[in-house]
Amino acid sequence: MGPDGLPGPAVPWRKVLWEQQPFPDNYVDQRFLEELRRNEGIRQYRYWTVVKEAGFVGQQLSCVAIFITLWLYMEQGLLSPESLLWHSLVCTLLGYVLYQALTSHDESGCELRTRLADLQSATIFLSFTFGFSPVLKTLTESVSTDTVYAMSAVMLLAHLVSFPYAHPSPPGSLSLNAALFASVCLASRLPGALHTFAMLSCALLVFALWPCLLQRLRENAPGHFNALCVGVCVGGICGLGSQSPGGAVLLALALGSVTLLCPLLLVRLQRHKDNIQGPWDEAEIHEDLSHFLH
Amino acid sequence: MVLKIYFPQCCNRADSGLMVGRWIAGHDSAVVLAVIHYPFIPGQVKRYIQQIQAQSGVELSVLGSWSLPKEGQEGMESFLRDLSTIFPQERWLQINREFGKTGFTCEVLTQDQNGGTTQQEAKKKKKMVEEGDGEAVGDGEEEGEEEKVIFVHYEQKKVMLSQLHPIENGVPDPKADPPSELRQMFRMVANSQPLFFLDKYDDGPLKTTHWQSEGREGSIIVELLKQASAPLCLLISWLLSIWTCFCNIRIFSLYPLRFLSTKLSTCIQLSYRTEHMRTLSSAKPAAGHTQFMRKANILVSLLVDVALGLLLMSWLYRDNHITMLANALVPAADHIAKELDELLQWLMGAPAGLKMNRALDQVLGRFFLYHIHLWISYIHLMSPFIEGILWYGGLSACLGLTFALSLLSDMVALLTFHIYCFYVYGARLYCLKIYSLSSLWRLFRGKKWNVLRQRVDSCSYDLDQLFIGTLLFTILLFLLPTTALYYLVFTLLRLVVVLFQGVLHLSVDFINSFPLFAVGLRIFRSFRLAEGVKFRVLCEEPGTALHLMMEINPLKYGTVVQTYRTPTYSCYPKDSWTALVKKLFVGELIYPWRHKTTKTD
Repeated sequence: MGPDGLPGPAVPWRKVLWEQQPFPDNYVDQRFLEELRRNEGIRQYRYWTVVKEAGFVGQQLSCVAIFITLWLYMEQGLLSPESLLWHSLVCTLLGYVLYQALTSHDESGCELRTRLADLQSATIFLSFTFGFSPVLKTLTESVSTDTVYAMSAVMLLAHLVSFPYAHPSPPGSLSLNAALFASVCLASRLPGALHTFAMLSCALLVFALWPCLLQRLRENAPGHFNALCVGVCVGGICGLGSQSPGGAVLLALALGSVTLLCPLLLVRLQRHKDNIQGPWDEAEIHEDLSHFLH
Repeated sequence: MVLKIYFPQCCNRADSGLMVGRWIAGHDSAVVLAVIHYPFIPGQVKRYIQQIQAQSGVELSVLGSWSLPKEGQEGMESFLRDLSTIFPQERWLQINREFGKTGFTCEVLTQDQNGGTTQQEAKKKKKMVEEGDGEAVGDGEEEGEEEKVIFVHYEQKKVMLSQLHPIENGVPDPKADPPSELRQMFRMVANSQPLFFLDKYDDGPLKTTHWQSEGREGSIIVELLKQASAPLCLLISWLLSIWTCFCNIRIFSLYPLRFLSTKLSTCIQLSYRTEHMRTLSSAKPAAGHTQFMRKANILVSLLVDVALGLLLMSWLYRDNHITMLANALVPAADHIAKELDELLQWLMGAPAGLKMNRALDQVLGRFFLYHIHLWISYIHLMSPFIEGILWYGGLSACLGLTFALSLLSDMVALLTFHIYCFYVYGARLYCLKIYSLSSLWRLFRGKKWNVLRQRVDSCSYDLDQLFIGTLLFTILLFLLPTTALYYLVFTLLRLVVVLFQGVLHLSVDFINSFPLFAVGLRIFRSFRLAEGVKFRVLCEEPGTALHLMMEINPLKYGTVVQTYRTPTYSCYPKDSWTALVKKLFVGELIYPWRHKTTKTD
């Protein structure tokens, strides 16, 4: 009966402390750690699936690049606000038609009402923006250019970081607001009130309406969705390249690392994962709500 | 057991006689109030004591005998013992003093149940050093056994006139502790006034010695004032009733006039003084020390106020000072307007290098410039009447300096009304902006204020709400420096005016409430306001009892002011510093001075 834990007379050791046992308190037998589970919830990532998902992130990055390209064109006077407005209108209509086509036909009863509500929203947007564009134009007059660029950059970064990639359809407040703030800052640097209005409409299209369409596309036509992502990325690189080659190179590098390099890292590093679970974890209560359905 | 005997100074050299006074209930002490000399008829003494009791309400009794035998008179031991049977008491004190010696001897005769008298064994020789006499101190001899006696000498006049603080008024609370020995003693002496009316020139059957026995004190001026005050009070109350009727005319209770009368400090001061006069002119004499002090303070402050006002008037109406003032006023107003003009022009430029939004700047600047222009025209319109207004306004100083100061404060408020307007505009604009900004900032982050739970919750907004909210947020954020600057400038101006008005109000308040009479009493008759007593040990030797001299400890000046301050509509800051700064930051309108209504107390 020494402290080495030689078993006494045929009394099995039980893992309790409230009974006086002939074993010391820190004795363990050969069943030690048999309830240990390693890497229980681990998922097996497949490289190309992850690349497809990461494509969405790259797509959003390219959207931002396209927006900046449009702004650069407008600032240099190469793009007139009227043509931008016309193009935006056409794209909106096309996108709306596509959106309606992709909607499942379960809710066809309330189509007319939804269309009226959409028309009302659009009217509110346009009138509000048009009415406020002279005020918006003069907002950053006295702020220095560097500050404006810095603020926009920070806000766009915040937009990218907080974007709800999993479910973009109800747009995340912070991401949409940050993007709109950045677009207002940039738009107020343009030479005229109509420019400001055009820029803001374009921003609304790119940041608010485009993700909704993407969400529908992703749900209903996944193949087309992937092709679209690739197309947008390429378009972004080309557009930026026409204005500044350095920017295009940077964008290409960023896209490459996000869509190709990071998934590789993710998959490769999985084998270093070492989670352990056991009966010492906090208890999780799994609500079984099925008995409410009876 | 220690027996304390309070012995008046004036009786130290009185002829032999009977000591009249009272035992203090609950304590082992006796207060000697007067000495009735031989010869006397016991029946008359008893009748006299009953008469005094009826007049004063203090239960007097004969405490014992006092003997200071002159040359040639032998000790009257048996006579004294007989006395104790004539005036049967529980305890009978026999105090003896010999000429040339400084000590008192005291024998205490106790009457026990059987009716026999026993004499206390303890017989002490007291040492006493007469203050200022410097007689030799004798030696203490016989040791005392059971009962010690302490003699506490007091000055009767001072104790009678003095009031012990803190003052206990009205019905004593049965649950509270019974009043202390000192308080009872003071009260006893103060209430025994009728005992001290008999002086040595009276032809009564009894001869007594007390502080007034050399002749009653009186003052002609006081008597004359007392006679004159009755018709004066009647006159004042009649005038007051007329004034009150006038004030209650229906036309004055219309809304705008009533509102104005609560804002103008002159009207407030007027109503306040009316209250004071009403207190002064009430026909009943003051009941109790507090009432008396209050009336006296009010009267003195009123007189001082009027005196200062008349002084001001004599300066004002001499040498054309009014014309000078009137001529200086309009250029001063012009000068202020010009300064404000320049200030606004500076703000409309790029003040201190700050980034102002040009359009908003111009709008606000022009708006305020137009206001100033209006105000200057108004001042120029009024300029012929200013001298007349000043002349008639100066007449109000005859009612007191406080009225002149209140009038000045009101005029300053009227003259700087435009600054007040600007402040209100700026503050409202700023407050609205801050409020909207904070709400839109919550929208920016996707949160909402939950009014029910008083906390910030997350909320999913619609697309249009988000869009419009963000646009408004951006606009308000970039316009914030402009509004904030205008708000800051006008708040500072307003604070300067408020500070000046505050100084005026504080001085008016000071004149109203400072208890000049009480402070004067404290300086000249400090024994009347007593905080307590202090005892001076005259001589103490081992084995003998103590002779103590009780001196009154006067109240400290701070306590005097605090106790006797007339309650006023005192002007004190409404908020603490942190609350004020917070209000300024958020843009709430501040009214830093608060007036209490006169309905308190």
